[in-house]
Amino acid sequence: MATEAAPMDEKAKRMRDLLSSFYAPDPSISTSGSSISASFDNINSTSFDADQYMDLMIKKSNLEVLLQRHVQMAAEIKNLDTDLQMLVYENYNKFISATDTIKRMKSNIFGMEGNMDQLLQKIMSVQSRSDGVNTSLFEKREHIEKLHRTRNLLRKVQFIYDLPARLQKCIKSETYGDAVRFYIGAMPILKVYGDTSFQDCRRASEEAIEIIIKNLQTKLFSDSESIQARAEAAVLLKQLDVPVDSLKDKLLEKLEQSLDGLQIKPEEASLLAEHNDSSNDAESNEQLPAKIHEDAVRGFSEAMRAYREIFPDSEERLFKLARALTAMHFENMELYIRKRVSAADFLRIFRIIWEDVVLMDEVLPEAELSDLSAEAAQVTVKKFVARTFSHLQQDISDTILKFDINQREAVEEEVLKVVLEASKKAGIQGTTDIFQDFRQLLDENIGIFVKMKDLIIGWIQNGFQDFFRSLEAQFLVLSGKTSSSKDIEGGLVEGKSSDKIHAGLILVLAQLSVFVEQKVIPRVSEEIAASFSGGNSQAFENGPAFIPGELCRVFHAASEKLLQHYIDTRTQKISVLLRKRFKTPNWVKHKEPREVHMYVDMFLHELEEVGKEVKQVLPQGTFRKHKRTDSNGSNTTTSSRSNTLHNDKMTRSNSQRARSQLFETHLAKLFKQKVEIFTKVEFTQESVVTTTVKLCLKSLQEYVRLQTFNRSGFQQIQLDIQFLKAPLKETVEDEAAIDFLLDEVIVAASERCLDVIPLEPPILDKLIQAKLAKSKEHNNNNNTVSS
Amino acid sequence: MQGGSSGIGYGLKYQARCIADVKADTDYTSFLTGTLSLKEENEVHLLRLSSGGSELICEGLFSHPNEIWDLASSPFDQRIFSTVFSTGDTFGAAIWQIPELYGQLNSPQLERVASLDAHVGKINCVLWWPSGRCDKLISMDEQNIFLWNLDCSKKSAEVLSKDSAGMLHSLSGGAWNPHDVNAVAATGESSVQFWDLRTMKKVNSIEHAHVRGVDYNPKREHILITAEDESGIHVWDLRKAKVPVQELPGHTHWTWAVKCNPEYDGLILSAGTDSAVNLWYASASSSDEKTSQSPVESIRQRVNPLLNSYTDYEDSVYGLAWSSREPWVFASLSYDGRVVIESVKPFLPRV
Repeated sequence: MATEAAPMDEKAKRMRDLLSSFYAPDPSISTSGSSISASFDNINSTSFDADQYMDLMIKKSNLEVLLQRHVQMAAEIKNLDTDLQMLVYENYNKFISATDTIKRMKSNIFGMEGNMDQLLQKIMSVQSRSDGVNTSLFEKREHIEKLHRTRNLLRKVQFIYDLPARLQKCIKSETYGDAVRFYIGAMPILKVYGDTSFQDCRRASEEAIEIIIKNLQTKLFSDSESIQARAEAAVLLKQLDVPVDSLKDKLLEKLEQSLDGLQIKPEEASLLAEHNDSSNDAESNEQLPAKIHEDAVRGFSEAMRAYREIFPDSEERLFKLARALTAMHFENMELYIRKRVSAADFLRIFRIIWEDVVLMDEVLPEAELSDLSAEAAQVTVKKFVARTFSHLQQDISDTILKFDINQREAVEEEVLKVVLEASKKAGIQGTTDIFQDFRQLLDENIGIFVKMKDLIIGWIQNGFQDFFRSLEAQFLVLSGKTSSSKDIEGGLVEGKSSDKIHAGLILVLAQLSVFVEQKVIPRVSEEIAASFSGGNSQAFENGPAFIPGELCRVFHAASEKLLQHYIDTRTQKISVLLRKRFKTPNWVKHKEPREVHMYVDMFLHELEEVGKEVKQVLPQGTFRKHKRTDSNGSNTTTSSRSNTLHNDKMTRSNSQRARSQLFETHLAKLFKQKVEIFTKVEFTQESVVTTTVKLCLKSLQEYVRLQTFNRSGFQQIQLDIQFLKAPLKETVEDEAAIDFLLDEVIVAASERCLDVIPLEPPILDKLIQAKLAKSKEHNNNNNTVSS
Repeated sequence: MQGGSSGIGYGLKYQARCIADVKADTDYTSFLTGTLSLKEENEVHLLRLSSGGSELICEGLFSHPNEIWDLASSPFDQRIFSTVFSTGDTFGAAIWQIPELYGQLNSPQLERVASLDAHVGKINCVLWWPSGRCDKLISMDEQNIFLWNLDCSKKSAEVLSKDSAGMLHSLSGGAWNPHDVNAVAATGESSVQFWDLRTMKKVNSIEHAHVRGVDYNPKREHILITAEDESGIHVWDLRKAKVPVQELPGHTHWTWAVKCNPEYDGLILSAGTDSAVNLWYASASSSDEKTSQSPVESIRQRVNPLLNSYTDYEDSVYGLAWSSREPWVFASLSYDGRVVIESVKPFLPRV
């Protein structure tokens, strides 16, 4: 069918084209569809040139194609021929039927004119008759009309005379609407004739109306009346030309005053939140504050709705009121969160406020309360987030400082450890809590929070970034390494406070930094990735979001800085000790050494303290000293061995000239492997102690170099150093370096000595033994006292 | 870092602590250094950097009676210098003149111009009038500060005025303010003290403990630099001397000496007992940097104040001096008597 339909269409189309080409005045129009391409080979186009086409044909095609084309053309021509014949035939047919129709019309028209004349005559007679009827009835009708007019007038007069009574009746039945209507209806007449004939009437009705106005006003002000009644009263008053504006002002003022009652005062807010929490069991006892509040706000919004209906032109004022209430809510909220508030409480209050806003928004959608409150809410939530972070920071520093106060009295107990653990816990717990709080914020499905979700995530991430940065800064301030801005202003304060800072605290801070770097930050970044990611990038346009890598770096640097600072403060303390020791005596006139000088004890005591602090706070290094246990036993042997060695060296240097001695030490240094004295400090107990000892021994050497000794002075140094050897080696991991440094001190002393004769080994040994015995006895005494 | 193989070395026979630039020598870059040996014959060496800057030549070698604890060259006559010396239990200070004919003599004796012998305590240092021809000198012992008038032709020195800092302060060194010739800074046990020479009274002080070295910034008024035992280097603005303007980490152990470059503002050299000399760039204007200075962090900072660390020393470095003639050259002296001349040209700030 489809294949057959196509040629049929083709044929119809051609027919139509032919027809249109025949009838169309402009042949160019007809060549629309079929001759788009106006080239020569298109027979249907107007610009078709047969000769040219022929030429082209002959040139282009071979005989067979030409023959084919001929046959095809012949067929087409035949087709066209029959089509044309058909057309002519059809047209002729139509022509004949048209002629018939015209003939019939001509015969029908005869006789029409006579009928028309008859009709005209009849209509004329009808008209004359109706005129007669009209004139005969005219007089009677006029009379009736006059009577009717008089009656109306009389009725009006009657109405006016009745007006006062009617009004009174209305007042009695409180149908003020009717009364006003009557009065207004009578108004024009009263106005015109009020001074003459209806004087009494007018006075009476005016009195009545005054009563009505008074009643209406009271009705308007009374809250007990329904809004509709009040609105009607207002409308009636307006109709009576009573100045409504002043009334409106009064009413709105009243509304404004009621705003105060609607405030959520910061003091009450917590109460509100609490009660909301435990509402289920206490429900029956009393009206709950939250409920009261809700009712109040509902009443307020109802009133607003009413006033809006009563006074359509007071919208602006109402908008202002509603906005003021919203703004007040958020202001109070800010005051409220100035104290510590949990996220749950915060949200509860927020929800109440939001409900209020929704209530008011229903009444006054044009006031754009939701936009206003959305902005305010953003600010508030942002502040809340920021404040939460600052509270956390406060918590952590409080934990650190709280213990610091008692620290001095109780160094023996492991206070540092307690502090460290407590602040670690505070850190972890704090971040956990914060995450819980924020998750609540995010889970909240108040409309506004959903909208702010991305923003909140941004704030949280930013908040963490800022929090860690300021935490690091605070660590440094606490350690006294950098002075806070406040101290810079104070100037003198800075010096004092840095003295007061306990060295142990610095160590705790250092370890805490490591803890933050290794535990807290990864944890936080995990949490953020888990539940706070996907914050829109728009939120971070202003500042960078949470970058754990950077923070880790910052805290890593801080921990190293703090550790260094700890060692510095410790060595400084020892340095002061050493300085006093070397500045005070006249070394050139020193007396023969009788015992080990007491500064050694103090030095060792300081080191012991360092050891104690370090043990509490830092982890043990992987390097374990296996010698530690048996070093006590072999104490004497090691000391005597090194003693002989030293003795040997000394005697030699004594016998030779000092110049060659210097040369010798130089040479020895060249061949000795350069001992690395200053190595990087690690976060282990041993490393810190070792570094401290190294630095102190180096200081000792420098102090020695600044003095000149006589023989006894040198011997005293020799004795002190010899005594130091054993206990130092016991505490320190890098024995070679300590040996080297101790030797250096002896060498320095011998270089600065006028007369180098070392102590005899037996005497040296004896003195050391005496000292050991004494200190043992001292310890025992201490023990007995303490026990 | 670069180590320091580029430096030119020179060995003294004995241990030594002090080296000074010969400011008055306008033809050559020369340094004076003196040895510190308790038992041997001490020497003063006059060293000259060859014109190519590749060699350090000993231009003169003079014997000095005692071990030298401090040495300073006069700013107006290259042949005159001062030493502070010790015999073990006594201290003294003197002004010396290098003899005219030292080229011919084998081991020439120094001519003693004057002895600054009013001191009773341990003398620490002698300071020359900062620049130009003026015959004023300052000497300090642990408690007193003396202002001298030196008369080279008469070979005498007389005390113009003196003041005592008190027993407790135990002064250790000082610097003469190049911007205000009436002001001198002295380092003490617990503070840096400032003296007005007109009244010879203490006018001001920075309460800061254990300062070893002090130097005024010759390019910028009111800027003072101190080196401390444990806490590194501090830059101070004397107008608000409560808190340092900037803090540099200093050395692993004590920072012994610190010197401002005479020509390039902000270039600071420090010597330490960790056997190293550090070259710093401290722009005093960037006060915001000071909040986060530390050995670790500053290395990571984009603007690292530490330009270079010269570590090719065997012992503590006590002596340090910029050349005033070629301000990119400095001499350093370690305790083992090794003088090393280095050029900081590769680290100069591009201006």
